[in-house]
Amino acid sequence: MKISKEKFGQAFDALVADYKVIAPVSDGSGIAFTEVKSFSDVKQDYLNSKLPPKAFFFPQHEKLMSYKKEGKDVTVKSELKVENTILFGIRPCDAKGMLLLDKVFKNDQYTDPYYYERREKAVIIGLGCTKIAPTCFCSSFEISPAGSEGSDLFLIDLGDSYEVEVVTEKGKALADRLALAELTADEQALVDKIKSAETPSKIDVSNTTSKLDKMFNSPYWDTLQEKCLGCNVCSFSCPTCHCFDISEEVRKNEGTRVRTWDACMAPLFTLHGSGHNPRDNKKTRWRQRLMHKFNYFVHNNGSMSCVGCGRCIKSCPVNMDIRQVVDGANKAELVVE
Amino acid sequence: MGEIQVEAENKKYEPKIAAFLCNWCSYAGADLAGVGRVQYPATIRTIRVPCSGRINPLYVLKAMANGADGVLVSGCHPGDCHYISGNYVARRKFALIKSLLNHVGLEEDRISFSWVSAAEGIRFAEVVKGVTERVSALGPNNGIFKVVDDGGAAADE
Amino acid sequence: MNNIINDIRDKARQLLAEGKVDVVIGYEKGSLPLKATPFFAHSPAEVDSLIWDETCENNLATYVAKTPGKKAIVAKGCDSRALAVLLQENQLVRDDLYIIGVSCTGVIDQRKIVAEVGEILEAGINDGKISVKGMAGDKEYLFAELKDATCQTCRYPNPVLEDVHLGETIAVSQEAPAFADVIALEEQSAGERQDYFKEQMSKCIRCYACRNACPLCYCQECFVDCNSPRWLTGGVNRAENLFFQAGRVLHLAGRCVDCGACTRACPQGVDIRALNRKMTKDVYTMYNHEAGISEDGKPALNEYTTNDPEQFLVKE
Ligand code: SF4
Ligand code: SF4
Ligand code: SF4
Ligand code: SF4
Repeated sequence: MKISKEKFGQAFDALVADYKVIAPVSDGSGIAFTEVKSFSDVKQDYLNSKLPPKAFFFPQHEKLMSYKKEGKDVTVKSELKVENTILFGIRPCDAKGMLLLDKVFKNDQYTDPYYYERREKAVIIGLGCTKIAPTCFCSSFEISPAGSEGSDLFLIDLGDSYEVEVVTEKGKALADRLALAELTADEQALVDKIKSAETPSKIDVSNTTSKLDKMFNSPYWDTLQEKCLGCNVCSFSCPTCHCFDISEEVRKNEGTRVRTWDACMAPLFTLHGSGHNPRDNKKTRWRQRLMHKFNYFVHNNGSMSCVGCGRCIKSCPVNMDIRQVVDGANKAELVVE
Repeated sequence: MGEIQVEAENKKYEPKIAAFLCNWCSYAGADLAGVGRVQYPATIRTIRVPCSGRINPLYVLKAMANGADGVLVSGCHPGDCHYISGNYVARRKFALIKSLLNHVGLEEDRISFSWVSAAEGIRFAEVVKGVTERVSALGPNNGIFKVVDDGGAAADE
Repeated sequence: MNNIINDIRDKARQLLAEGKVDVVIGYEKGSLPLKATPFFAHSPAEVDSLIWDETCENNLATYVAKTPGKKAIVAKGCDSRALAVLLQENQLVRDDLYIIGVSCTGVIDQRKIVAEVGEILEAGINDGKISVKGMAGDKEYLFAELKDATCQTCRYPNPVLEDVHLGETIAVSQEAPAFADVIALEEQSAGERQDYFKEQMSKCIRCYACRNACPLCYCQECFVDCNSPRWLTGGVNRAENLFFQAGRVLHLAGRCVDCGACTRACPQGVDIRALNRKMTKDVYTMYNHEAGISEDGKPALNEYTTNDPEQFLVKE
């Protein structure tokens, strides 16, 4: 099915009345997902955002509750105001990233109410990639640059119109508000062509998990991390990184409990109250980063937690390229223990 | 109605000023002002420090972040430092703090520095009066450093 | 340029082979076009990866204290100035350090290119010209057009401290430091500056890449990570971000060597330089001091004169 961009724009502007609509916008130094009021504000031709859209479900800094003590009375407040939200223009890598975050925040052992509420009330309109950046390597993870997995409604840009694929029930509810038409044969051919595209850059991850099983004590980690600065860029820019810290901000008789993104590359991440730090060097931190994404997450959740968005590659101040890191692990000699 | 009310509110507005005073001079100067019953506005919250050289720039920032409307730092006159050179070293630091904060758009008069000796009780009162007037004229902390009470979880704009 | 690269490799090979150093810290070609990446050569066999060109934008002095053993470092002007400050502050053992000095004509500001031609697919540097194939078009630049802002005002392209100098030295045209960028901001009203820095600070995501890229941010525990006292709440908003940057910049006043590594490291394009440069200008105009221009001396804030300016005092 398809819809002309003009008609889609009108429908989009009508949706703004019922939903908080988040879409890619050019902010001068790149693309950011921001609340928009009109389709004309949306940047339609973009590679991907600087930061992943995960913050809409899992904000960088979020108040979980507040409390106050007056005399002997303690009041605790936890308000969660969540609006119906549409996330427009989510790329397939990020849509997949959200499915991976779901595994962390919404599983059979625990459901995080903050994340879950927001996630439930959000509809994801994915947008297929017709241009592929040199740092994109999602095809390594069976994600197609024009694949609809993770989206509720999925669009492919055909020039004057969008091809529309209804992926979920949520997506169907939105699609009902669009005047859809049939694709012509030519358009169908174009869609097929876009859908069959792969990222030119690909890494081989077929044996990485099992290789890493045997690499905890590998000397590979010794030199791998030398140039890493131990900043938070790669974690913060990753659509699947999800570690956080909880802290109490207390002043006098009142306080709040807040949750903030944390990053395994930061020295504070594993620092114990006693002063002991079990991961007190970059070597063990980088091992953790790679292991978590390509081994532990696979064992725990059945999938790798990298979607090949390439943000960490682009943003790392010292050009640490996760593709090379994985490749290096694939090739590293095993030490006999 | 509006105007009169504003007047009344302005009169009531008393700035809160964090005053970091060197134990050997300005703190004693404040004491002397008290003993001599010299009147000065009750706007300062005194924090005694062993030397103006002890002032960490973060003290100034933190005071602003926690909502002080102004900061006053006062130490011994150059040459009179109890520790010989503490205030000389501090002087460079203070010049830069003042300059940087001004550069990022904090009003000049929010942050004040002075040298007041233990004998200058009357002058101490003058300084506090002057600082209070100027900070009052600016009104409450405009929040370029001010932390929102929920620890910053709510975006402030 | 190629000769220089060969000389660097030869020197590195010799130092490693003779056991003079355990590691040579330099650059190798990065995984993306026009990107170099820090490289640690531990054996003579590895030295052929070493390169040197206009893409070598990181300040390698950052790694020196953290790298164990005896080390050699490929140092351009600003790296050497950072080393000088580190030596002044007793953070390095001079005898463990071998400085391979190279003169630097400046590094490329990638952001300028990406803003014009999109993500860079391919690029080549030839004879002072940089030809780029971008996702949104191709373009040929003169190096001068792409020179990083820091390098445009650099007065120390030649290392101030070195054990060997490779390649030619570069003539410096500027007699005295120029601060046109700082003055432009100073001339704005306080309100305008406030707006400018509010906007800059609201972009910051507190990834600390700036701090970690900085050779002179070496505190064991940074004040932002300090739990007791707790300077920052961990909130990420423009007020706390400004607290962080103001605190950082004040800690670097009189020490910052204006290498620009922090600004280049920032993934969000925050104009950190505007803060550091203000301090650099103040320190220069008030105390006639430039950080790290020789191994002797002290950082400006560790010194004083009895007649330092005090216009900042209250009127009373
Ligand atoms: S972004 Fe780069 S330098 Fe920073 S922690 Fe990640 S790999 Fe290290
Ligand atoms: S690890 Fe890097 S490439 Fe993979 S999903 Fe995260 S940011 Fe993207
Ligand atoms: S590198 Fe940029 S975004 Fe990161 S903490 Fe520094 S200023 Fe903020
Ligand atoms: S603050 Fe920035 S410009 Fe100054 S020395 Fe550190 S990295 Fe270089």
